Amino acid sequence: MKSSKLLKSFESYGYVYLFWLIVFFLIPVLAILTYSFLTRDFQGGVRLQFSLKGYRDILNTTYLTVFLRTVFISLISSTLSIFVAIPVAYYIAYSRFKNFLLLLVIIPFWTNSLIRIYAWIFILGNNGLINQTLLRLGIIESYIKFMYNNFAVVLVLLYTYLPFAILPLYSSIERLEKQIFEAALDLGCTKRQVFFKVLLPNIKQGIISAFVFVFIPAIGTYAVPELVGGKSSRLIGNEIARQLTTAKNWPAAAAISSVLLVITIVAVLIFMYGGEKRETR
Amino acid sequence: MKPGNFSKIVLLFTLLFFYIPIVVLVIFSFNSSKSPEWTGFSLRWYYQLFTSSNHIWRTFVNSLIVGISASLFSVIIGTLGAISMYLGSEKFKKLMWTTTYIPFIVPDIIIGVSLLIFFTTVHLKLSLFTIFLAHVTFSIPYTMMIILTRLQDFDKSIIEAAYDLGAARFTTLRKVIIPIAFPGVVAAFFMAFTLSIDDFVITFFVAGPGSTTLPLQIFSMVRFGISPVINAISTLLLVGTIFISIFLRRYVRYII
Amino acid sequence: MPGSSVTIRNVDKYYDDFHVLKNIDLEIKENEFFSILGPSGCGKTTLLRIIAGFEDVDSGDVLLDGKSILQLPPNKRPVNTIFQNYALFPHLTVYENIAFPLRLKKFSEKEIEEKVGWLLNLVRLEEHAKKKPSQLSGGQKQRVSLARALANEPKVLLLDEPVSALDAKLRQELLIELDNLHDKVGITFVYVTHDQSEAISVSDHVAVMNNGVIVQYGTPYEIYESPANSFVATFIGESNLMKGEVTEVLSESYVKVEFPTLGEIICYRDKPVKEKDWVLVTLRPEKIRITHSKPNISDYSTTNIVHGVVDETIYMGYQTKYFVRTDEGYILKVYKQHVSYLLDEKIIQWKDEVFLYWNPDDSYIVEVEED
Repeated sequence: MKSSKLLKSFESYGYVYLFWLIVFFLIPVLAILTYSFLTRDFQGGVRLQFSLKGYRDILNTTYLTVFLRTVFISLISSTLSIFVAIPVAYYIAYSRFKNFLLLLVIIPFWTNSLIRIYAWIFILGNNGLINQTLLRLGIIESYIKFMYNNFAVVLVLLYTYLPFAILPLYSSIERLEKQIFEAALDLGCTKRQVFFKVLLPNIKQGIISAFVFVFIPAIGTYAVPELVGGKSSRLIGNEIARQLTTAKNWPAAAAISSVLLVITIVAVLIFMYGGEKRETR
Repeated sequence: MKPGNFSKIVLLFTLLFFYIPIVVLVIFSFNSSKSPEWTGFSLRWYYQLFTSSNHIWRTFVNSLIVGISASLFSVIIGTLGAISMYLGSEKFKKLMWTTTYIPFIVPDIIIGVSLLIFFTTVHLKLSLFTIFLAHVTFSIPYTMMIILTRLQDFDKSIIEAAYDLGAARFTTLRKVIIPIAFPGVVAAFFMAFTLSIDDFVITFFVAGPGSTTLPLQIFSMVRFGISPVINAISTLLLVGTIFISIFLRRYVRYII
Repeated sequence: MPGSSVTIRNVDKYYDDFHVLKNIDLEIKENEFFSILGPSGCGKTTLLRIIAGFEDVDSGDVLLDGKSILQLPPNKRPVNTIFQNYALFPHLTVYENIAFPLRLKKFSEKEIEEKVGWLLNLVRLEEHAKKKPSQLSGGQKQRVSLARALANEPKVLLLDEPVSALDAKLRQELLIELDNLHDKVGITFVYVTHDQSEAISVSDHVAVMNNGVIVQYGTPYEIYESPANSFVATFIGESNLMKGEVTEVLSESYVKVEFPTLGEIICYRDKPVKEKDWVLVTLRPEKIRITHSKPNISDYSTTNIVHGVVDETIYMGYQTKYFVRTDEGYILKVYKQHVSYLLDEKIIQWKDEVFLYWNPDDSYIVEVEED
């Protein structure tokens, strides 16, 4: 068919796109994986010699703690986001003002992430608003350390990535035929049963997307722990930067990055197939 | 089924959670003292920002340069990619989808670090140009998908109708496909620009000395501690963002 | 499964300022097939939702078998709804959709299997039990939603325009199936629709609504043959609606009415009218006979005869619709069923001169103009 062939000829337009991503994304990522297996050159960079020292450098309790802490914090942030995002998305989906409410949710998401982090430092920091006010009122004698710990990291991660959870859930809920909830009530469900038996199973895709959209940025986060985490809250992102810029140990940095990549891929696969399996039961 | 009071309360708290820090930030940008104690209304920090902060303005200009150029480039590549996805064969679509999904699940820091290693290995000096390359790279999956979504709202038979009426390939592109895609293109440009202006981590790794962007500048300032100048910058950025979102609210639905 | 009677008593409802239901009083007998018929926006769906419990009333009461159910939430009422867009649970199979209410009631697996099996058989969907709703056609989806609602053994089944989303042929089929289902299952059906042919074809009683008010209640025959006002006359079936002035009262049941552009016609009345009153008269097209030659009748003074020219014809196979322009200029709709082989007759065609005649009982005064 003439038109079909002509339509297909537009495929070549996509070659630029593919080329760009291969050169500037795929190859660099492969480079990182490769570098993790090379030898460190003390003048910076690597030498073309196979070595597992990169990985050995990171195989100690400090790094293990960092990895576990990062995964743990990311899981908490993702789970909390979903608990908050579901009621919010549900309310917006049924509201007469959904476009306005969506805009309200998106605007913070469009402000610079560093500004949003700074806002919390301004409020909770050692010299921040709350501490200064409490000091001036004489309620405390020296500042309370609200920040520079895991709690602050989770708080700011939540603050930064919550819209990422709200939007896909909103999308999912909005798409549902609203009468299925009335049908469920009609057939005898209590409101709780409607939530668990009808709403949740039908927004599974949305929940998975929301989870992934928070988990992935959280697990690779750098600025948040760097600015509001303390010495006890160093995450994978901080360690990569340290190995790269301070210690100039490229293979180690590459090794941590590779592990991070593996954790991310495994996590995404688990979430995606975890959802599928329950579907078939 | 109407949402109950529980959802309403959660929504309210969430909105408060989102906006109170921002509002506090804005209010204290007008504070006359340096510390977070309200001592009176003052515009001195804005004054300082506008008169004695050339280094900050230079970074802002850098951000704009990279933002606009990278978004333009990204939108062009994204449009080409979207058209090829819209009209291509199933096999080709699969290839495109796989290539697109992978960047989405790779954390920013890995993209940043890998590009740093890549640029260094090919002896490309870190500069605004490397930032430009990086920004195009992470934004083309977004621009492509936004424009594709817009195209998919339309039946392919429109294209075939154009051929039927005698249009040649390039004319069809110009007169049919691009006008249809246009709202998506605008939304995609806006998305790419936002991603670029806002980006920190990737830029952090691929920027060279002298090629600082605004987020990097803010980062080093925040590292030093609290300063009302940062509040002032934040307020201005916020106002700018609100203006642009209201101006472009028509295109919001293409992004969701 | 015995059904319940439903009583709507003095129900009023407002949506903000809009008075959507105005003092509705309705009595639905137990086990009957009842239809609420009206144009979009008349309030019929709101009324149905009030019975189901999805809407509140501003005043009035809803009773089932004489007992008020107003305080009961929808999940506690022995009433189930069939929605216009089926509202099947997309994440469950046909079997599980039907089993849903049974699982809520904690029936044993064996009881569920038995019951669902019986219901699947009732709606003839046994082979589709394992499919998901997205794999079904519209008609099949509707039957699943029927089975699911009946699984609950409700006393009243509410149907909200259940066939409007289907195409014409399917509508007919499903309507007949609903009728059969009603016979088999025996409970009260309350059927809401804007399509008058659906309502009058299967109902025991019909309530016609307009603008939040019930304008007529009766059997389908009563509604069709004796419309209470011009709205019902034109909403149900087709009608020639004409306005004229009473010139002579002939007897208790007949008057002569003068119509501009139609002449003097003998009309039937069951409302008191006197000379000089202006009235609206309805005349159904199928009640008018059409011939080429002047009809041979015993008493011309008791039949209405009008002469005219055929302006337009629409041949439908089993009948033809004629639009006849009378000598004075009025256009009458006439429907003629072809009860014998058409090609044996001299076919009435466009531009033919014809005679129209009908029994005065069929030109019926439907409204008297207020002064």
